[in-house]
Amino acid sequence: MDFTPMLIAIAVVVVLASWFVLHAYNRLVRMRNNVRNAWADVDVQLTLRHDLVPNLVESVKGYMSHERQTLEAVAQARSAAMNAGADLVTRAAAEMALGSAVGNLFLTAERYPDLKASQNFLLLQEQLTTTENRIAFARQHYNEMVRQFNTLIAEFPWNLMAAQFGYTPEKLFAASPQDRATVQMAS
Amino acid sequence: MSVPEMTGAASSFAAPSARPPETFFKAQERNRRATWRMSALCVFAAFLMGIPLTLVLSPFLYAVTMAAAEVVNHFSPLPPEFWQISSDLARLAVRVADAVFNQRGVVSPQELIIAAVLIFLPGIALALMLWTGMLLLFRHGGVGGTLASLNAREPNPQDLKELQVADTVQEMAIAAGLPAPKVMLIDSPGANAAAIGTCAADAHIVLCRRLLDDLNREQLQALVGHLVASVGNGDLRIAFTVTSVFETCGLIVTLINAPFGRQSRSTLWRIVRYSLRRGTGAAQSADAEQVAELLADTLDMNSSDIDRFFNSSNPGVIRKALRLMFFPFLFTNLAVELTLWFFLNLLLGPCMALLWRTRRYLADAGAVELTRNPDALESALQSLSDDSATVAGGSWASHLFVVNPGGDRSLGGDSASTEQQRKFLQAWHATANPGVTAAAHNSPSLPGAAVEFARVRQEMMSTAMAAATGNAEATVRLQAFAQAMGVDPALVHELPNINDLMLAQRGDRAALARVRMQRQSRQRQQGETQRGQTGLQTVSFVSFHPPLAKRAKRLQRMGAHLIDPSRRHSGLGGKIVLAILYLILGPLLLTCGVLMLFVIAMMIGLNLLCLGLWLALIHWLFAVDWASVIAGFTKFVQDVAAALSQRR
Repeated sequence: MDFTPMLIAIAVVVVLASWFVLHAYNRLVRMRNNVRNAWADVDVQLTLRHDLVPNLVESVKGYMSHERQTLEAVAQARSAAMNAGADLVTRAAAEMALGSAVGNLFLTAERYPDLKASQNFLLLQEQLTTTENRIAFARQHYNEMVRQFNTLIAEFPWNLMAAQFGYTPEKLFAASPQDRATVQMAS
Repeated sequence: MSVPEMTGAASSFAAPSARPPETFFKAQERNRRATWRMSALCVFAAFLMGIPLTLVLSPFLYAVTMAAAEVVNHFSPLPPEFWQISSDLARLAVRVADAVFNQRGVVSPQELIIAAVLIFLPGIALALMLWTGMLLLFRHGGVGGTLASLNAREPNPQDLKELQVADTVQEMAIAAGLPAPKVMLIDSPGANAAAIGTCAADAHIVLCRRLLDDLNREQLQALVGHLVASVGNGDLRIAFTVTSVFETCGLIVTLINAPFGRQSRSTLWRIVRYSLRRGTGAAQSADAEQVAELLADTLDMNSSDIDRFFNSSNPGVIRKALRLMFFPFLFTNLAVELTLWFFLNLLLGPCMALLWRTRRYLADAGAVELTRNPDALESALQSLSDDSATVAGGSWASHLFVVNPGGDRSLGGDSASTEQQRKFLQAWHATANPGVTAAAHNSPSLPGAAVEFARVRQEMMSTAMAAATGNAEATVRLQAFAQAMGVDPALVHELPNINDLMLAQRGDRAALARVRMQRQSRQRQQGETQRGQTGLQTVSFVSFHPPLAKRAKRLQRMGAHLIDPSRRHSGLGGKIVLAILYLILGPLLLTCGVLMLFVIAMMIGLNLLCLGLWLALIHWLFAVDWASVIAGFTKFVQDVAAALSQRR
């Protein structure tokens, strides 16, 4: 019996299978790194907001001496967000709370015309607005990457490999309706 | 009850946009597939264009080679194998041509293949070599030249709005997961935006300052999202490839023209200088920009160097001799230009324009994906449509702008601008005669209002110049005019800055220079709009920009809300008339096209004929033994002289 055609067929199958495994592995790695990078972006923007909030409180304290409650709420929300820990859900909730506290502060500042005229305050407001927007968009991008990754490891040929190499679905950085209100607050 | 009313309302809303809604993901997928189709079409069109081009260029290259060989042979003889091989190949070509055209004789398939390779290879090789050269050369050209010709500047961090737009670009870049492009602003009376660069790493986003005042933050975000999405999709690379194809065509024409004219030689010299210069980015990119413009210019069918050379009256003797020696070049040039004009304008140009349009739609869907807000983009496009969108100095790169710089009113109505024009005219006439009240000049939309408006604007500019150089009356008039107009943001940029005028009056040179520059740029811009579109748009009768109405419709499918359901609903009657027109014109255009193809084939034949004659002439010139001819002629003259003297 001539084994050559069978051997060739087996060799072709082996080559194709190994090419596929290589390609799939690289794709999984790339997707997961996308998720990691996107999360790093979100983290950077959140940290920027943490750094901007004390400046804001300082600059309005002189004008808004009667609004101690609002200012304290902001400071408390900030420390809560900084100590929220690694769990995505609690961190998301804490950051949303900080966002709405800052939004409250700006809403209150509308009632002080000399504060609104201060150039320093306007620049700070612009910085915080853009940080809110950047957080929103970074979160949107992160959730997009997570969705793509989760879909990939659930689809047929790749779920076999994912189980093999220990890829598990990632969690979304959930958005609440409250947060939408914060983003559209100042434009 | 309310249900029939609701369905009635729903159906009246559904009528204009009859297609089902789709998500932006679906829209993006659809447009990407369309891009592949259009690219395949472009490659096919380029291939079709290449056939006649090769048929013209290959004989030309062969003739030049053989002529050079003859010259070289005269001074140092070439090996006989060279002549043997060339005569063998020539005989083979003649045999194959006989078999193909006259059905005489039999040719084997290998000979057919060899003949085909002989005929098509040189032209294709030359074209591909030139194209690759252009790609490599200009890949690192940079955008400095384009930015300089647009007078772009960095955003001012002290200005809140400019700070906001810089932040918006960063936000969109984060949303797209891309490194942020650099932002530049243009102070121009028009309102437009573009993404400029040769690749995504080198991307610059250029916006007109006026946009910051006209659009709110949401709309600006949508516009910037469109530009960032197009950068992320690799549109800059595609634009670069498209322009490089056109530039290669220009380069072929320039090369053929080079022995004849200074203009082509200077273009070639610029290219060489650019390729050899390694160093400062600004000078290099200015060079690249100039070369690009020059090459694009050569594609116009205006007088090229060769025509000037051959048609100049009162040529000297040397020029006559040169004309005789190089006459086939004229036919080659004519054939190449004709082919390029026909195929670019009718085939390759429209294919590239259609390809570019799908990329615009893709970028629109990308903007919706980034901002999740289709309404913002739609309202931004509408407000741009109501505005003038011309940007001075940007004509060469017109296809890179978000909205057609030539203007596109298909989306908005003209009610806003005529209202503004009326106010403008009223206020101006009021200030002319201080005693007359504005009520007396109560002329609503005049038929010649646009012309009147342009004239008044000229008058205003000259008044501004007079005021700047110290005319008190003019200053008073301008001040009264500014007061009458109130704080109208759209017209602030039409007027020269009153502050500048005051300073200029007191002798501030910088302010005077600014006023003068604004007037000059206004004049230049008017000149440009009168000349019509320029740059890449001239080689395609299909616009590179999709009409705004179509873009709005696609945005509506992605979820934007209808702006005005009763707008521009071309009825069935209009469609029938259009269909009949196409039915009548279609066969006519087709016959014209076929005739053009015949003309091109004839030119190719003529080119072959002339090249053959030229080669024969050169061969005769070099093959004849001139020394013996001269000796014989001298002897003849001596004989005649001797015979004459004998008779006497």
